[in-house]
Amino acid sequence: MRVVIAEDDAVSRRILETLLRKWGYEVTTTLDGEAAWEVLQGSSAPSLAILDIMMPGIDGLELCRRLRQSQANVPPYIILLTATQGVSEVVKGIEAGADDYLTKPYDSDELRVRVQVGARIIELQTKLAERVQELEVALNHVKQLQGILPICSYCKKIRNDLNYWQNVESYVSDHSQAEFSHSICPSCYETTVKPQLESLHNSRPAVSDFSN
Amino acid sequence: MSFDQLTNNENAESNQHPVAPGSASGIASDALDLEVLNAFEELQLDDGSDLIVELIDLYLHDAAQRVSQIREASLATEWVLLKRAAHNLKGSSGNLGVRKVAEICQKLEWMDRQDSPEKIADLVQLLEYESAGANALLAAVRQRRLG
Repeated sequence: MRVVIAEDDAVSRRILETLLRKWGYEVTTTLDGEAAWEVLQGSSAPSLAILDIMMPGIDGLELCRRLRQSQANVPPYIILLTATQGVSEVVKGIEAGADDYLTKPYDSDELRVRVQVGARIIELQTKLAERVQELEVALNHVKQLQGILPICSYCKKIRNDLNYWQNVESYVSDHSQAEFSHSICPSCYETTVKPQLESLHNSRPAVSDFSN
Repeated sequence: MSFDQLTNNENAESNQHPVAPGSASGIASDALDLEVLNAFEELQLDDGSDLIVELIDLYLHDAAQRVSQIREASLATEWVLLKRAAHNLKGSSGNLGVRKVAEICQKLEWMDRQDSPEKIADLVQLLEYESAGANALLAAVRQRRLG
């Protein structure tokens, strides 16, 4: 899993980077909020962000707000870091859109488990997003056969989107994943097939006609 | 290397550092928590480099700049800049167990308009004093590690 760090303090940044690499994460380090924002807008953006609140330029809180306003399919999990103690800082951080919060100097074990929680939530969000996408694709197929279809009362052809009259069978095939196996229903057998067979039978010359 | 060994050794070889009179080891133990620093042993890299030395180098470079910023900001009565620099130095000091410096930085960060310029100046002076002492200890740790 990829993690981006935004931390202007060199010592804190190096410690954080070393810890995360040790725990098996792929780490991108940035020195301020602007650089972190650019990394998080990239095509293969990290899914977890650890942001210092107090940074030059865009600070951690502002970066949180921007990330929450962006339309990412799976938004990054954000852990805020600060050297300031106090409930108001926590409230500000969470209100800005952070998922979690740690006060420096933090315990490395606490950071490890909080990052693990983040990774677990991202995994769930990713699975959920994939499932939603699958459902949307399935729903698109269903929608293609919804609505009012103009159908001929006599021949039962359907007028398609291009204004052509199309056989029911081919129309349904084009607009769904359904396939057809051909057979004859009892009603059609009685009303259509049986009379035709009888007619055919009656039109044949009798066997006795060839006997002479 | 024990903490006492380190501090005794450091006191012997660095008379020029502003070590406080009286119990030098007592001040040193307030200044630097070696357990915090030694905890980074577990994070040592496999590439042969010494993470603790690297962290000390980063800290010494950063601390010198921050203390200078704090001093200049206090002289110019730029309280926002002073608090910001104090906040940053508090963070990096806390990470490496440089306790006394972190404590003074916290006091500076929590200063308000009612505090007298004299009080702030005293704190800045104390910060410079403690920072120099902690930096000397860190430099000794660094020297010892490099052999």
